[in-house]
Amino acid sequence: MRAYELIKETFLRRRSIAVIHLIWLVLYGLFWWLFLPDPEEYGRFLLLWGGFLLPLALSAGILGDDIASGRICLLVTKPFWAGELYVYRLIGLSLQGAMQFLLAALLVFVLHTVTRRSSVSGLGLWLFASWLLFNTVAALSTSVSVVIRRVHNSLLLLVTFLTGATVAQILISNLSNHPLGTVVAGFFRYPFPPFELLRHLAKGDYARESLSLGGWRIPTSIACVGHSLILTVVYAGAGILLLTRRQFSGPRD
Amino acid sequence: MGYDGDLAAVECRQLTKVFRRLLARRTKAVCALREVSLTVHPGQIVGLIGPNGAGKSTLLNLIAGLIFPTEGQVAVCGHPARSVAARRNLGYMPEHPVFPGLHSGRAVLRYHGALLGLSAPTIQHQVEQSVQQLEMGAFIDRPASEFSQGMKQRLALAIAMMGNPRLLLLDEPSNGLDPVGIVQLRDLLKQLRDAGAAIVISSHRLGELEKLTCDYLFMHHGRILSFADKAVAGQTARLRVELVSGGRRVAETLLPTSQVLDASDTALVLAISDPDEVPNIVANLAQGGARIMSVLLERENIEETFLRLCSEGT
Repeated sequence: MRAYELIKETFLRRRSIAVIHLIWLVLYGLFWWLFLPDPEEYGRFLLLWGGFLLPLALSAGILGDDIASGRICLLVTKPFWAGELYVYRLIGLSLQGAMQFLLAALLVFVLHTVTRRSSVSGLGLWLFASWLLFNTVAALSTSVSVVIRRVHNSLLLLVTFLTGATVAQILISNLSNHPLGTVVAGFFRYPFPPFELLRHLAKGDYARESLSLGGWRIPTSIACVGHSLILTVVYAGAGILLLTRRQFSGPRD
Repeated sequence: MGYDGDLAAVECRQLTKVFRRLLARRTKAVCALREVSLTVHPGQIVGLIGPNGAGKSTLLNLIAGLIFPTEGQVAVCGHPARSVAARRNLGYMPEHPVFPGLHSGRAVLRYHGALLGLSAPTIQHQVEQSVQQLEMGAFIDRPASEFSQGMKQRLALAIAMMGNPRLLLLDEPSNGLDPVGIVQLRDLLKQLRDAGAAIVISSHRLGELEKLTCDYLFMHHGRILSFADKAVAGQTARLRVELVSGGRRVAETLLPTSQVLDASDTALVLAISDPDEVPNIVANLAQGGARIMSVLLERENIEETFLRLCSEGT
């Protein structure tokens, strides 16, 4: 009952949530209809639009709204571990992402069937990669929402990502022939949401590659999925730690 | 306070709370509560009284486990505040209740029942009971975000009462309530107290607290000025004696200076600690030649007690 109510609340907490889902679906359809993209172009659009921007839009103020309004005081005085509040909110977001990508797949399939234009091959992998990225960004945004009030968590992350991506691009291109280049690329690639790794995964670049770990050979695509999941858990763990240790108060007179 | 032998609903020991902003200088720290100790037993209503910034809400927040004490300890029904076990016994009503936008009042109640871990039939029963007790039938199915302040207060109280907690923490519960609502609130709190619940109320409405026959905790600048039950709070009384004339002379010659609070030619205001002293005082004045017109015993009300304690404490 508790889990169901807390998950359901992520859908119903703002009127704008339903509007966001609708806008995103319309844009998936419009992009296909207007630009007739090939699967890779469409996949990259899905990864950016659904994997990155959608979680930022859906998680805006996911905990920050409650903290700013003082409603969190009613929630955290209930007899359950405060971390559950975080976990079920994140699961609610993840389910919304899954629902959105399933609807997007259905929409594209219908458009493709009706118009007989472009191709849908490999789209499933792009949708899966987008959902993995969605979860990672949603966890990061939810954790930031524990300490940043209202919807500023999403705005902060958007600005930080745009700035960080630009800086990373400049650094990596300038250090392309320098030994430090690998270190810088690794710094930007592994601890932050894995756009690049998931793009390669969805393109199928890792289909025949494997990594050696001890005496084991692990397919790179599995390692890539594992990396994304581990990042999600690490971001969520940090958020849970902050939530269970922070203090709350209602709005002041 | 009494009730020794019972497990205390709230036990605060030497609580100190200092609010310090991140990266701010030490001198900017605000000490909201200083070495406060308090015990509240089942069946007891304690009213926290004090001006803005006295530390009432801070004390409630510490008991609710919303904030951590800088020093000292808080236990709720024998469990550390903020623990899940403590929250099982706790009902909390904030000063400014906020509810999710798209939910009706009834859905909000069901939602909080689910968070408490109650079964669906129990939630249904408690929702209907609360709607009846707090007379919310006319508006309970409307969106909670459209509620007036009084409706929000009733809903917040219903949420706090769900699951029949052993301890109720109420922050300004009568804010925005109409006179009928205030009377209902008072009756309801008395019923809960009689059923064995401990209730801690923070309120600026001293008259309302007085009618609840509760015990008072007078707070000022983060300290407890006085901890008094109703009898003690009302003990300080004044005797107003109306005279035909010569009041000042009578005060100087017949009464000890410490007893005279105010003296004019036609009236005397005297401090008395025991109403049984009144006949003796009147007889003494009459024998001394005072021409008495009327005698009125005035008890100090809670507001006057608080103002007196504040002026003594500052």
